Amino acid sequence: MRPFEYVAAKDSVHAVALLKKYGSSARILAGGTDLLVELKSAPNGPDVIVDISRAHDLKGIEVTNQGLRIGALTTHSEIMHSPVVRQMFPALVEAAHTIGAVQTRNLGTLGGNLATGVPSMDSGPTLIALDALVTVICDDGVRRIPLEQFFAGPRKTILTPGELLVDVIIPTKNLGKPAAFVKFGLRKGQALALVNVGASLRVDWDRHAFVQVRIALGAVAPTVIRARAAEAYLEGRAIVPDAMAEAGCIAAGETKPISDFRASAGYRRELTAVLTRRALAEACKLAVAKHDGAMPA
Amino acid sequence: MTDVTLVVNGETRTASVPAEATLLSLLRDSFHLMGAKLGCNVGDCGTCTVIVDGTPVNSCLMLAAQADGRSVLTIEGLATRDQLHPIQKAFEEHAALQCGFCGPGVIMSAKALLDANPHPTTREIRDALSGNLCRCTGYTKMIHAIRDAAGAMAGESNDKTA
Repeated sequence: MRPFEYVAAKDSVHAVALLKKYGSSARILAGGTDLLVELKSAPNGPDVIVDISRAHDLKGIEVTNQGLRIGALTTHSEIMHSPVVRQMFPALVEAAHTIGAVQTRNLGTLGGNLATGVPSMDSGPTLIALDALVTVICDDGVRRIPLEQFFAGPRKTILTPGELLVDVIIPTKNLGKPAAFVKFGLRKGQALALVNVGASLRVDWDRHAFVQVRIALGAVAPTVIRARAAEAYLEGRAIVPDAMAEAGCIAAGETKPISDFRASAGYRRELTAVLTRRALAEACKLAVAKHDGAMPA
Repeated sequence: MTDVTLVVNGETRTASVPAEATLLSLLRDSFHLMGAKLGCNVGDCGTCTVIVDGTPVNSCLMLAAQADGRSVLTIEGLATRDQLHPIQKAFEEHAALQCGFCGPGVIMSAKALLDANPHPTTREIRDALSGNLCRCTGYTKMIHAIRDAAGAMAGESNDKTA
């Protein structure tokens, strides 16, 4: 690695002060599982590393009056083992579990996974399907935006120099909303997603119909995207397997995948149709289980 | 240069290293603990696995400065002068390693697993080893060894668990 100056932030206020001081010459170090890999291979590197990994106010998972708040510095392992996440959103546990392996999940953070902005990230789809918001702070302000609008392209976000992602919030109205995450990679462990899908929905039990459907797709566009046409197709429609299969086909048509050494664009489209159908079916199963009282709402 | 003070295998150690030094290079180059290996250097192979404050991590993906004030356990911290750790003993009995390059990482992953979960299922053992690559003999004997070690550490005889 090219030499750099190392400064450690003790909390988020200290971090944004350091980021203001060093501006665009600084990079933020959280879990390091992406940044250190990049720095080891990059010919040029930042002059300064602002290490936020000791900023305790950026850690933790709690239910607040705004919803479920997950601190940006929370590791994938901490999400997997959080009792409140396990109870409310098994899909987030599943998504965290598919990231890397134990060692990388112990280091890698939710905020880092989002801020690195790789299109195949596993944290994004379920959270977008749950209408998650992100909080971004800088030296003189705070802004909160939908996670869906956080991404600007492959490895690009809307964060500007000096800004820090501090948390992700799943709004109160969606706490316990049935959601599913499905990923297909070339292996079970240590594999990037060829396609991943997050879906959430509620059921209108009087009409036995889909409502509030959200479908988010990863690795099939420059950023994680919503499959809005597929969502609209399902809204108010009776819950039958054919409808989920059709929604999958519609979702596949909304993608703009690339061909690379992992898979062709055509294969990724086919996978999108299948995985979307599976994610919807799994979310429905969860909705039924919650409705039948087999699981807490 | 950055000064770091940390506990390594129960002993407080101090070093002055460049800011870009990783925990792995601190352990190997400053402390001459050669158990953790430099393999892929990008967090894929797991042969640099050490346990930091109770959790296994890739020491190639952590800066030495990030380990300041923390407690690190490496493979050198397992055996005593006259006795192997039960996991090491089980690996020996099962001939679970061939070239051995992945061994320190695999055994540290197994140690962290059994500390957190003394009676893991085979699936849980496989999951715990998914970040450790072996290119020689494969994982079956390792999984058997870890299962036996779990039994031995729980004070059960191998006959009883078989």
